[in-house]
Amino acid sequence: MNIIVCIKRVPQTAEADVKIDSTGKDIIKDRLAFDMNESDSYALEEAILLKEKFGGTVTVVSLGYPETEDTLRIALAKGGDSAIRIKAEDFDEIDGYKTAVILSSVIRGLPYDLILTGCMATDDYYSMVGQTLAELLDIPHASLVTKLDITNNKAQVYRELEGGLLEHLEVNLPALVTVQTGINTPRFASLIAIRRAASKEIKIVGKSDISKDIISNATLEELFYPPVGKRAEILTGSIDEVVTKLATIIKEKGLI
Amino acid sequence: MAGILTLVEHRQGVIRDITFELLTLGRKIAQNLSTQCSAVLLCDNAEKFIGQLKNNAHRIIVMENSVFKDFNAETYQIALSEILKKENPFLTIIGHTAMGMDLGPSLATQMNIPFTTDCMDVQIFDGKLRVIRSMFDGKLNARILLKDNPSYLVTYRSGSIPVETGNLDAEVVKLETPINAQPEYRKFIEYIEAAVGAVDITKADIIVSVGRGIKDKANLPVIEDFAKVIGGVIGCTRPVVDAGWLPKEHQVGSSGKTVKPKLYIALGISGAFQHLMGMKNSDTIIAVNKDPNAPIFNEADYGIVEDLFKVVPVLKNKILELKQTKA
Amino acid sequence: MSNLLKLNPEIRELLLEQGAGDAIKCYECGRCMAACPWNMVDGVNYTTYQFPDLIRLGAILCSEEKEAICQETNEVFRCVGCDSCFYECPRKVNISNILRSARRIMIDFGSYPQELKSLFLRLNSNGNPLGESQDKRKEWADGLVIPKFTEGLDYFLFVCCITAYDARAKSVAFSVAQTLQTAGIKFGINSDKEVCCGEAVRRAGGEKVFIKLFESNLKMFRDLKVKNTITISPHCYTIFNNEYKNYHNFQPLHYTQVVFEQIKTGRIKPRKPFNKAVVYHDPCTLGRQSGIYEEPREILKSIPELKLVEVPFFNRKNSICCGAGSMGLWREYANEERLVNLRLKQLLNTGAEVIAVACPYCLQMFEETLKSMNTEIKVMDVSEILWESLKLETDQ
Repeated sequence: MNIIVCIKRVPQTAEADVKIDSTGKDIIKDRLAFDMNESDSYALEEAILLKEKFGGTVTVVSLGYPETEDTLRIALAKGGDSAIRIKAEDFDEIDGYKTAVILSSVIRGLPYDLILTGCMATDDYYSMVGQTLAELLDIPHASLVTKLDITNNKAQVYRELEGGLLEHLEVNLPALVTVQTGINTPRFASLIAIRRAASKEIKIVGKSDISKDIISNATLEELFYPPVGKRAEILTGSIDEVVTKLATIIKEKGLI
Repeated sequence: MAGILTLVEHRQGVIRDITFELLTLGRKIAQNLSTQCSAVLLCDNAEKFIGQLKNNAHRIIVMENSVFKDFNAETYQIALSEILKKENPFLTIIGHTAMGMDLGPSLATQMNIPFTTDCMDVQIFDGKLRVIRSMFDGKLNARILLKDNPSYLVTYRSGSIPVETGNLDAEVVKLETPINAQPEYRKFIEYIEAAVGAVDITKADIIVSVGRGIKDKANLPVIEDFAKVIGGVIGCTRPVVDAGWLPKEHQVGSSGKTVKPKLYIALGISGAFQHLMGMKNSDTIIAVNKDPNAPIFNEADYGIVEDLFKVVPVLKNKILELKQTKA
Repeated sequence: MSNLLKLNPEIRELLLEQGAGDAIKCYECGRCMAACPWNMVDGVNYTTYQFPDLIRLGAILCSEEKEAICQETNEVFRCVGCDSCFYECPRKVNISNILRSARRIMIDFGSYPQELKSLFLRLNSNGNPLGESQDKRKEWADGLVIPKFTEGLDYFLFVCCITAYDARAKSVAFSVAQTLQTAGIKFGINSDKEVCCGEAVRRAGGEKVFIKLFESNLKMFRDLKVKNTITISPHCYTIFNNEYKNYHNFQPLHYTQVVFEQIKTGRIKPRKPFNKAVVYHDPCTLGRQSGIYEEPREILKSIPELKLVEVPFFNRKNSICCGAGSMGLWREYANEERLVNLRLKQLLNTGAEVIAVACPYCLQMFEETLKSMNTEIKVMDVSEILWESLKLETDQ
């Protein structure tokens, strides 16, 4: 089975201060750490598991700047066989749609039975790249997949719906699946795999290798801080004091 | 002026709340643009749904066929592409839900119309469409301008619009269905209910909910102890389930359960929007989190900025004390 | 680990590059295994002596099997860097450093216990492991008048992140500062530029994060022309002594050394009695790694009515690690598998009423664990006990 995994290197913002830079259209990155987008790491693990079961190759593709090669090497160390970096520096105004268009131009020429990617990137929250990419490649897709089985060249996918309900679909291969976190347990890399990955060549692809004209769908005009909503009443004092205040509130509301 | 289309989202015979949010929005936009808002309904039996929709749209565009009994993004896409070709709407609005995510981007790409996802607000001026979206773990918002086009598509975040009932009387327009059977390459097989565990947190009056802030499974007993004392059940966020610390039946959020208890205590939960969506309508929300900037404090009624492990044991004893002194 | 170990020169080279050179010296006598505190915990079998061998062969973390790598990675990250093995080793093989060489690579490739991830992120973006903001770093000193360090002052007081930010531990920084002021020591601080010393993250293998912290502090020391530092934490002390000193000419001191001198010369005289049995726990970084055993004890002995007791045999160089080193403070092990329980049992068995510590990590580790135990014993830093005895009625 030939599997392509699309990954993205994103800033780790969950526990960091995020500040808008002087252009007003990007964030200040110097104090931020970057890593593989979380749901993409689950997609990668799913691909490796399938490779272990069925044999074949896993190709990892990422549209990113030169530092993305570090992330691609991590993907290689965890079991990817080859990696391609598409030079983000060759394009401007990259958003979810444009990413899908660029990816499709590169992936179109590659052999694949299955394309896996994470369901959502934690920097832009678009949840659109996978589905758009599938449409451009004219293959069926399924998003938010939380369980995936391959039998007889068909994918049995289980999509996670609201309320924990699962939607079971049968999709012919080749197909594209976007994967939810929790679908598996991402593995650690071994030193042997790390060593191998360190010396593997990452294929670099640029604008000149893409015949198609890449156009944008939209423009980011401005980033701004969300308005501070109605704030909670913050209880202050020593731990004993705040706990007493809180417990009293709970009791007065007749909740205990 | 080209109209507004909104997609009716229904599942297992029930129209989901997002539908009415989108219709509220659609009607407002239609009014501003002096045009009409139409609801698009793809189903096997329109009768049972039309009554609920009649007041809320100018038109209901129906394709009625057994193939639409259960959602399949492919059948919907085939149908909607026909409808869009025919209607040429200015704006198509779909919910940013499990259904909408599966359908919206591929539909818009097939139709070659500019689109964006997970919008919290739309601004239409001079034929141009701008949207407000959330980014970077919800810490920043962005204003996006879509490329000039006569037609656009957006998926809209649920819970962003207060629902209003319309006072319209929709004209029902029945259209021929372009397909009669599910495509062979993508078939809906079945729904699988979440396994009913020992606990149904949606029925509880008090929920004590934990997030990544509890740091490890080994710390759950302290929380469970507290929950027992206060008479509540345990809830949690998605990462806690992903890490295998609690089974999925405890998950509160967009892909877990939506709860409306009398008291929701959020411990070590930062307040990612996927979680907020599942509990924001609780009567009283109390949040304990070390981070004063945690988004949960925007949803909570009361907050304590402190290490939850310092608060919980003391709170437990206090509650025990108060329970013993009958008021 | 399979009995048949394949020799892999490339892995061996990779690890030697990262600093595992000590592995070559090992002759597998096994004394490290007897010394390692993990092997005193029921149910844990830490095959310490195998690590140098595996490194020499390039046979560590080499399985292609997912489960096996997961288990082996967890074992590689188990080491708390207490250096008991190093102390006992006849050839002075530093197993903590050897394991660190593997951990550095694993961390670079996202393969490590995930509870450490947020620590790396917080240290990277906020300069402290608690993820607090820099402008809060001075709040521990509220109520004190401490000058900002300038060249004219004798000492730079380097404040451990835990004591700067943690509500309980702030009193340690407070007590140290008050004591030094009472002794007339001329010192200053810099809460605007000071960031974590990086000792724990470095030992754990987070080299990239460490270098960022290191360069920031180094620049501060150079810009301010710091010649002498007093540290509150012995972790800061050891990394200053072992690493920072190679790049900047300065003399690090631990506060117990300075305070001991002041008591010896009579500059400060503890007067108020502290009528309790106190057991002193030697922190790994102050004791075994730095050879500072008697100064904290002399400080305690100078306090009227204080009864100093010792853990039989497991004191001074034989002290058992509290488990907090090498980012162990943030690791989560099952209750039966925690080093801290082992040490606490020893300390409780002395019958003491107070555990005296001289390290903020030990303080936190013991306090957190004691919370879930039914006991009256208290944990206090040596400086807090001393300040109790030194302070006048009018002091805080």
